[in-house]
Amino acid sequence: MRIIVDEARCEGYGFCAEAAPHLLELDDEGELTVLAEQVPEDERANAEAAVRVCPVAALKLAP
Amino acid sequence: MREVVIVGGSIAAVTAADALRQQGHDGPITIVSDERHAPYVRPPLSKGMLKGTESVDSVFMAPLRADLDFRPKTRARGLDLGRRRVLLEGGEELPYDGLVVASGARARRLGPPEAGELVVRDLDDALRLREIFATARSVVIVGGGFLGMEIASTARGLGLDVTVVDRDPPLVRQFGAFLAGHMTRAALAAGVRLVRAPEGVRLAGTPATAVLTGEGAPLEADVIVTAAGDLPNVEWLAGSGVGDPGGLLVDERCRVAPGVVAAGDVVARVADHTGLPRRSPHWGSAIDQARAAAQALLKGDEAPEYRPSPYYWTEQWGLDIKICGRILPGCETHVVTGSMEEGSALLQWTRDGATVAAATVNHRMPVVKLRKLAAAPVPERTTG
Ligand SMILES: Cc1cc2nc3c(=O)[nH]c(=O)nc-3n(C[C@H](O)[C@H](O)[C@H](O)COP(=O)(O)OP(=O)(O)OC[C@H]3O[C@@H](n4cnc5c(N)ncnc54)[C@H](O)[C@@H]3O)c2cc1C
Ligand code: SF4
Repeated sequence: MRIIVDEARCEGYGFCAEAAPHLLELDDEGELTVLAEQVPEDERANAEAAVRVCPVAALKLAP
Repeated sequence: MREVVIVGGSIAAVTAADALRQQGHDGPITIVSDERHAPYVRPPLSKGMLKGTESVDSVFMAPLRADLDFRPKTRARGLDLGRRRVLLEGGEELPYDGLVVASGARARRLGPPEAGELVVRDLDDALRLREIFATARSVVIVGGGFLGMEIASTARGLGLDVTVVDRDPPLVRQFGAFLAGHMTRAALAAGVRLVRAPEGVRLAGTPATAVLTGEGAPLEADVIVTAAGDLPNVEWLAGSGVGDPGGLLVDERCRVAPGVVAAGDVVARVADHTGLPRRSPHWGSAIDQARAAAQALLKGDEAPEYRPSPYYWTEQWGLDIKICGRILPGCETHVVTGSMEEGSALLQWTRDGATVAAATVNHRMPVVKLRKLAAAPVPERTTG
């Protein structure tokens, strides 16, 4: 499973990074960076939670 | 902890369910929501979705986990704390070991419910207003807070003739005089008419066709929208022994009663600086409280205390504003970088010498950094 960021939609609120700190991070410019290309199995729940807390639907999970 | 019941179907409810699973709860979780829709996000309802630049589909959250029992169109109408049961409309009783109250808030209306007053709180409200805006030429918005001004900005963007009426100058209570003044000028420059009605207003007609301000001619428009704040959904708790009209009071771990926690817009907490209970009806607060509430349900006194760190945003008149902290009355404003005239700035607020809030205006920065700035000293050259 991978996390896909729609950069045009992302507003840099950072709720996702708080839900999955091992997978997502806001860089110094406030741009969202994906830290892990592939989501490890034990991070799956965090990844799903991260997708749901985004208020502008900027994240998606792909197989 | 075996059975968990969650009342509410929005961000606080969904985050509580996710957090319970993330923290290892593997018993059944039932979520009851009185809405007909699957969980969706509210912030776009006054912004892109209302304007039509965002599709309706884009407001729905990613599908819930498969190991939750989500029950839409199911309304809780009572709570029996002693027997640990949620009473549903229709007579069914849901037993619980742990309960999360996440019933949120609803729009405050000026008239009786049957008057068909237009508000923007849920998806159906926004869909209806979007359709009405498509053919309307003019709108009067009652309320110049966040929501009222966002609706005004959206309506103006659609080419409507827009009037905003409020008792107070728009946004001063939320943003302080400096930032509110700037936003008010942006609204005026966009062609919005702002009306003060210190005595409050009344709606005339069913559905409303005019707003009476107590002085001057009635304000007439094709559409009247009420954006006069929100009220916590506590009525279903009546008789249970918990739930004040001002919100459901929680302790420092978001607990209400044994086996019961609460999160989101329904919650009132005693704020440190005033000693009075207040709500923090924002997206970020709902998420933080839901995580704290889930921990408290599973770990009790071992759970960390919830430390509020207010963070909220608004988009209007092309201004994208994010704020951490609280802009309290009597604060001093400091422009740290940029300037409002240039259209991009970093601001800080101090009170009695201490920094209490920070905000970005059309200025991108990691939220973590903004949170730190909300408590960091103001650089010397900008003071005054
Ligand atoms: C138009 C709009 C724009 C906003 N924009 C922003 C923004 O830009 N930034 C920001 O920070 N915040 C914004 N907010 C606020 C944010 O959306 C709320 O703080 C957030 O939705 C609170 O989530 P919640 O889960 O606590 O409650 P709610 O979202 O109110 O959800 C509560 C749910 O519980 C259901 N329910 C209530 N009673 C019962 C019952 N008895 N039985 C079963 N179900 C029940 C309700 O139908 C509802 O689905 C906005 C809100 C609105 C309305
Ligand atoms: S929560 Fe959404 S908008 Fe915010 S940083 Fe994450 S993806 Fe971007």
